[in-house]
Amino acid sequence: MAAPPLGSILLGTTNPQRLRDWYAAALGPEGGGFTEVSPTMFAGNFGDVGLLIDGRDDVADKNPEPGRVILNFHVQNARATAARLDDLGVTWLVEPEEREGGVFGTLVDPDGNFIQIIELREG
Amino acid sequence: MISDPRTPWMPTGIGRSPRLRKVVLGSRAPRQLADWYRHALGLSDVDAETKAGDASLTAGGVELHITYQSHVAPEAAEPIRAVLNFVVDDIDEVEARLVATEAVWVRELERVPWGIIGTVLDPDGNYVQIVEPAREPLPWSREE
Repeated sequence: MAAPPLGSILLGTTNPQRLRDWYAAALGPEGGGFTEVSPTMFAGNFGDVGLLIDGRDDVADKNPEPGRVILNFHVQNARATAARLDDLGVTWLVEPEEREGGVFGTLVDPDGNFIQIIELREG
Repeated sequence: MISDPRTPWMPTGIGRSPRLRKVVLGSRAPRQLADWYRHALGLSDVDAETKAGDASLTAGGVELHITYQSHVAPEAAEPIRAVLNFVVDDIDEVEARLVATEAVWVRELERVPWGIIGTVLDPDGNYVQIVEPAREPLPWSREE
């Protein structure tokens, strides 16, 4: 059996419009934004993977376990992305910093999910 | 400044859209969790060094990195918070493999407008969905 690709990740949220708007403004999916799958479900593409935002009433407003699943986004320009995120007033767990291999930063989305942005150094 | 003419809607300097390249799963039992993804889904290890006890598996263009995390409970508090959707070619084959590993089914295989879908729990209680897409494009696919 061929190893199956991860096609998408679904984030359950009590406020799908807010989460959609945040990911659209903070990271910007391909093609200009999210597609409305239903009035409470939105989908955007980030490279090979879709991000599905699903409005639900069986999760809390804030993620009680943000360390369980952390999404890592590779960006072309971490500093420019960080400036954009600062404009949105995001909370950084780890401000973007130079490490071996590139620039890494960890922040929190409006639901309390942890996400990481990474600009890999070439070569 | 880097700009990408293919994404004119992005502010100058950001470049192309970010790519979701890695998902980190924090676990109290990372070895057991990684073994499950290897055996139940057939994921293979990325050829790279990882911290002892961690695992880096490949799932298409995405790395699934499994690491020890002391701040999570043994079982996911809210498994619907983040669900991994794996795209499979032959869902019956994957189902048989999951049954053989005695996976716990949350949603047995079901035909939906965009294909066939089923949901199981990984050993940490995370929801893992398997999807065999219909021949038609997914409803959220970009129009070419």
